[in-house]
Amino acid sequence: MVKQNPVRKIVIYALVVIIAIYSFFPIYWMFISSCRSYRELFSSYSIIPGPFSLKSYENLLSMTKYAINFKNSVYVAFMTTAITLICSILAAYVLTRYRVRGRQVVLQSMLFTYMFPPLLLAVPLYYIFTKMGLVDTLWGLIICHTTITLPLGVWLLWGFFKAMPFELEEAAMVDGASRIKAFFLVVLPLSLPGLLTVAIFSFLLSWTDYTFGLIILSSDVHKTLPVGLATMVGAQDMGWGEVMAGAFLISVPLLIMLVFVSKYFVEGLTAGAMKG
Amino acid sequence: MKLKDKHIIIPFLAPGVLVTFFFIIVPLYMAIRLSFFHLESYISTPTFVGFGNYIRIFHEPSFWNALGNGLFYSLVSIALQVVVGIALALVLNEAFKGKTFLRGLTLLPYILPTVVVALTWQWMLDGTIGVITIAAHKVGLGRINWFETPRMAMFTVILVSVWTWTPFVTTCFLAALQTIPPDLLDAAKVDGTSAWQRFIYITLPVLKPILVIIILLRGIWMFNKFDVIWLLTRGGPLGATEHLPILTYQKAFQTYDVGGGTAVATISFVFLAVVVSIYLKIFAREE
Repeated sequence: MVKQNPVRKIVIYALVVIIAIYSFFPIYWMFISSCRSYRELFSSYSIIPGPFSLKSYENLLSMTKYAINFKNSVYVAFMTTAITLICSILAAYVLTRYRVRGRQVVLQSMLFTYMFPPLLLAVPLYYIFTKMGLVDTLWGLIICHTTITLPLGVWLLWGFFKAMPFELEEAAMVDGASRIKAFFLVVLPLSLPGLLTVAIFSFLLSWTDYTFGLIILSSDVHKTLPVGLATMVGAQDMGWGEVMAGAFLISVPLLIMLVFVSKYFVEGLTAGAMKG
Repeated sequence: MKLKDKHIIIPFLAPGVLVTFFFIIVPLYMAIRLSFFHLESYISTPTFVGFGNYIRIFHEPSFWNALGNGLFYSLVSIALQVVVGIALALVLNEAFKGKTFLRGLTLLPYILPTVVVALTWQWMLDGTIGVITIAAHKVGLGRINWFETPRMAMFTVILVSVWTWTPFVTTCFLAALQTIPPDLLDAAKVDGTSAWQRFIYITLPVLKPILVIIILLRGIWMFNKFDVIWLLTRGGPLGATEHLPILTYQKAFQTYDVGGGTAVATISFVFLAVVVSIYLKIFAREE
């Protein structure tokens, strides 16, 4: 190693501080705005937090449907993740282990969906949902989210199963296990990191989605968090304190996730997992 | 061995194929079909109008305005994301204390929901009490009206987009940077090259393949991105930030011009497909 000179070191640490502020300040500001007392919110620009008040959170929970929106979001995100996992595990496994006709077409179309303007799908889906009675329902939204997460899941797991040595299942099958048994007892446990990546991204996409929610959901009791929060802006009695409180609460699960699974997140990101 | 147990193929493939068929392929077909029809609303009977919707849209100034805005928005914001992304990746690739922590921190803007990003920035950029507006005022930049004039509104949506989507670029570049052997850079340093020369002749060639892919993916996404602009400006003021996704939304869900909306969506898809295939022709050959 060539020795680093001290000036260079100072410059690097200065840049590090700038990057940290650049990335974190908006989130910090959102948080301290959410727990600042009402009067100070519009008169104090101090970057030091306080005076503290939980009034914004109280107002948010008592005056809006935030709790119901939260429940809706959890339901939609978990269902989307479950459906995506089941469908993509099964499909990707068969596509890597058997010579299925049209395999290339399937894979290419998975990549192709990357290019869809989401609205190109949303308009006809809305049209179909009006006939099926799925407009303004959580299941309508779950279907919409699955159209994005499923191609992604198949694509990611395809790469994952392909990299997994075939000999492992063969060994199990030689020992008398059926294909199904080998799949459940050997393949699935070994592909846990891949499954986790797919689960994280499906959850993330569903949890953060605004566009589909805006289109599909209209009544307050069916709204998910992002849509519910956006309608609060400019609504009567709702100030920036409440909006920032709501914004912070949506972000909490994601912040927790980032702390614990950022490794999978980065891996998935570099594998082209995130659309958006 | 590979061909044994063929009976699992169909049940394993069925769920995925059914979902894909009914909720991706059929809707796609319907979207293109609907663009040739006239509908008063989502429940009325469609009447066939041939290329009527397309001809109508090509005569609307708002379509050309939206196309131009969309191209400007995507090109400028990708360029900035790449520049900022490379800069951040170069710093994050250095050795310093708390590196893992900072990497996690720089991912934050990317994982936040767009709604949170848009609302937080709206609050910080509020014309009278936003913290950034006031800070800008204090350092002598005057009271900036971030969303009032057409030019400022476009600038602001680009600013927010770059902030929230750059971490994707940073992460990809960082992964690529880590493939450069440190010995190579050290050797170049010993030979008396400047930092700039090392960047141009060693780092940049390593980043080039990933750069080609990132520009492609980000370009597609930025061109299709609806939520951030919608939340920040609703396409205004005076249509200054209205791009094709917003035009589609307004037609399909605000004026209930379903045929027109699907026509705009189809046009933007075809446009994108053409641009992407030209792009791939130019760059895929070099790889």
